[in-house]
Amino acid sequence: MAIAAIPHDAHGEVDQLYVETRELRLQGFLLFLISDCVLFSSFIFAYLYLRNTGQGWPPPGIARLDVAFAAWNSVVLFGSGATMHYALENWKHGNFMKYMWMLIATIILGAMFLGGQGYEYHHLIFDEKVTWAGSGIFGASFFTLTGMHGFHVFMGVCYLTVLLLQTAAGTYTYQKYFGITAGTLYWHFVDVIWVVLFSIFYLL
Amino acid sequence: MNVALLEKIGAIIGGLIVGAVAFYALWKDWKTPGVENHVFKVMLLLLGVGAVIALLAGLGILGTFGKA
Repeated sequence: MAIAAIPHDAHGEVDQLYVETRELRLQGFLLFLISDCVLFSSFIFAYLYLRNTGQGWPPPGIARLDVAFAAWNSVVLFGSGATMHYALENWKHGNFMKYMWMLIATIILGAMFLGGQGYEYHHLIFDEKVTWAGSGIFGASFFTLTGMHGFHVFMGVCYLTVLLLQTAAGTYTYQKYFGITAGTLYWHFVDVIWVVLFSIFYLL
Repeated sequence: MNVALLEKIGAIIGGLIVGAVAFYALWKDWKTPGVENHVFKVMLLLLGVGAVIALLAGLGILGTFGKA
């Protein structure tokens, strides 16, 4: 779809207020991501501290996590980060249809990751009998951290779906698209958090 | 072919593709200025590292596969 087919501002010009406040919006969003990073960091360091105070890991009686499945599920999430990056790049270059397909691919991959996490939870809870409250530090920290991350991914999928609908409705223009930038930043953030969680829960 | 092997193959192939895409995008955007692009570069670098970690896990170099 050509650039001209995308709805622009009412007067076809860039909103001056938007230009002036864009940097502030970006800084505000980055502060939000930093605050979220602090939240995850506190839980991660608490987990690492508790893990190192225990005798052996995972604790006796608790099965090892399935690394093969987690590696596959991680690649699905990381792949969604790549598609989201190219969605934004395509938007910047005026490729509307490529942007839409990349965004749809990101939403599908994000939903697949959540499905994978749900499958893993089901397996752990019903087959391995690992629960949040009944498996000590391991169960509590695993379900709290991965659950918190999963909630972030779920909210991200909702956000990206809203972005998709907004874009289809012509909310954004090629000059005014901070919502898409923020969505991309957020999605990269949940990817990066998973790099850490995958490493500390499955590989260490 | 068992499920674990398929997962490993998926992790290896996916890790290769995503890692290559992330590092290529990082290389392509390397000279772009501005805070926003600098943040994207850091995110792409970490995404690439994550893909390599998943690839190494798929190869069995990192982590221990299956249940002990």
